[in-house]
Amino acid sequence: MDDLFPTELKARLAQIGEADIVVGIPSYNNARTIGHVVRAVSVGLAKYFPAQRSVIVNSDGGSKDKTQEVVMHAEGGADDLLLVSHPVHTSYRISTPYHGIPGKGSAFRTIFAVARQLNARACVVVDSDLRSITPGWIELLARPVLEHGYDYIAPYYHRHKYDGTITNGIIYPMTRTLYGKSVRQPIGGEFGFSGTLAARYLEKDVWDTDVARFGIDIWMTVTAIAEGFRVGQAYLGAKIHDAKDPGADLTSMFRQVIGSFFSLMGSYENVWKQVQSHDTVPLFGFPFEVGVEPLTVNTDRMIHAAQQGVSDLREIYSSFLSAQTLVDLTNYVHRNGKGFHIPDQLWVRMIYQAAIAYHYRVLDREHLLQSLVPLYLGRTASFVLEVTDSTATQVEERIEGLCQVFENEKPYLTEYWDAAGKEKVHAQSV
Amino acid sequence: MRSLFDRMLLEPFNRLAEQSTHVVPILIMVLVTLLVGGFLAYCVRWLTYRLLQLARFDHLVQRTGFAGMIERTGVFRSPADLGARFVQALMWLFVVLFALSAADTPASVELVRRFVDYIPNLIAAGLVLLLGVVVSRMISRSALLAAVNAQWPAARLIAGGVRVLVMTLAIVIALEQLHIGSLPLLVAFAIVFAGIVFALAIAFGLGARDMARQWLEAKVRSSVAEEEVFRHL
Repeated sequence: MDDLFPTELKARLAQIGEADIVVGIPSYNNARTIGHVVRAVSVGLAKYFPAQRSVIVNSDGGSKDKTQEVVMHAEGGADDLLLVSHPVHTSYRISTPYHGIPGKGSAFRTIFAVARQLNARACVVVDSDLRSITPGWIELLARPVLEHGYDYIAPYYHRHKYDGTITNGIIYPMTRTLYGKSVRQPIGGEFGFSGTLAARYLEKDVWDTDVARFGIDIWMTVTAIAEGFRVGQAYLGAKIHDAKDPGADLTSMFRQVIGSFFSLMGSYENVWKQVQSHDTVPLFGFPFEVGVEPLTVNTDRMIHAAQQGVSDLREIYSSFLSAQTLVDLTNYVHRNGKGFHIPDQLWVRMIYQAAIAYHYRVLDREHLLQSLVPLYLGRTASFVLEVTDSTATQVEERIEGLCQVFENEKPYLTEYWDAAGKEKVHAQSV
Repeated sequence: MRSLFDRMLLEPFNRLAEQSTHVVPILIMVLVTLLVGGFLAYCVRWLTYRLLQLARFDHLVQRTGFAGMIERTGVFRSPADLGARFVQALMWLFVVLFALSAADTPASVELVRRFVDYIPNLIAAGLVLLLGVVVSRMISRSALLAAVNAQWPAARLIAGGVRVLVMTLAIVIALEQLHIGSLPLLVAFAIVFAGIVFALAIAFGLGARDMARQWLEAKVRSSVAEEEVFRHL
């Protein structure tokens, strides 16, 4: 593990000794926004945890825009106006480059290692491009761990109805269906977790996979749930990012997140097959209405992507979608304009069939995941067209309906998963 | 008179009869070898076909997408049929070599020796071609997916072009292994390929200059606009 730490970091950690809370901020060229995040974290620690020893760790991917300098020199702000009492301990601040594959997951790994080295009781991670973070976020994410015995706190935000479509269309319904916990933002980006869980994460040998990139969020959430850690949620209000998100190419992002999720289905097959229903996950914080930034979505472009995908990738789809699914998909996808629609059941079956194909390596996994992008865009366009005139509450009900379809179709997934497994065993044995 | 008759008819006939005593057994042996070998090759083909069917070979190949390609050739009924016929062809090759060896004439011995020497080249060429098929398939599929996800209209054309390019390279290397002149093929391909690229460049640069500019502008504008406002995670 010492390999993860540069010499200066080792010396710094030895000097600090121990800490109660470690707050990690992964970054890559975020000089523009990270100062605000560091200030919010500093004030949050001073205000809500004045008696705790805390360390802020910036795990940087080699920024060239002085991100690390901004982290080290960001001022806490007008402390007298913000704080009722002054902290007993100094809050340390570290900015260090991480080792390994460039990506958010590798940055987190260094943060986990720091938390373990300092024997931290709680660890919080927040994105470095947040514009809506407040000091209260640190309390909401850390206190359930420090004082209520929770191991993992996922964020809960209000988002625009078109925002977070991978979450709404795949990750949230599937996490709930497979692992039985209704975590609304399983890949939210901001998390609180115990030192025990951080140490458990470090034991896993996943750091050469997509978990080292954008797959980290879903991997953390599923690992926590599937391994029986105590999971909660914290209401954080609205999540507003900086407009610029380096490396946020849809295909790569989609591939890394969905690939990690499908891969976890193989690892925790014995867990999700036992789950029959879902539990509500406790929500910390006081939910309040917030305004969200308006979004515009180019559905025509997405519909065109889906139509082209179905037309050009037919050979690939026929290798993992059932004949009936492919016929249905072709029929639905070639309707234009407002008539374009991909029904829930068809969508769910496509995702389940893709998950089975991924597990049994029916075709190259990279190709399989890439081929899902046009289908995902088609489904997103269908969803956007469907909820254009809906309120936020109606959209939540619509997502709830999709979750129920995922749950209703779970026997189909289990049956075909097992059948494909038997078929493979048979083919290998003769 | 008798002497002339002996010289013109009996002596050649005797010589022919004498030579025939050497050649006919060899011919019979070659014929029998071919007949028995052919029968054995047929039996091996039948057995291979049954074994491949038992192993659900067709089903396995179906998943790779090669099955459609094999069926489209119209020559083979199924991947198992192709496999069985391939084994039969190999068997036939060995039977013919065996028969030639059995003939034990200087020409046949030399032919067998040269063929045996050539076998490593054949294997190398076969492997290169096999690798070419696999690699071209992988790369063309990657190109197809990248082009579709970038929403390029000619995605399949691009994928096809990539496949032809990689296969041409594999064929040229295989021909080199077989010591068959590959230069004409390479030159012909280079001329055609360069011609296509040149023609497209001229067409795009002159004929569709405004359209290209507008398309690129629209592409950049729309992708930036969407990235700024729309988050998937």
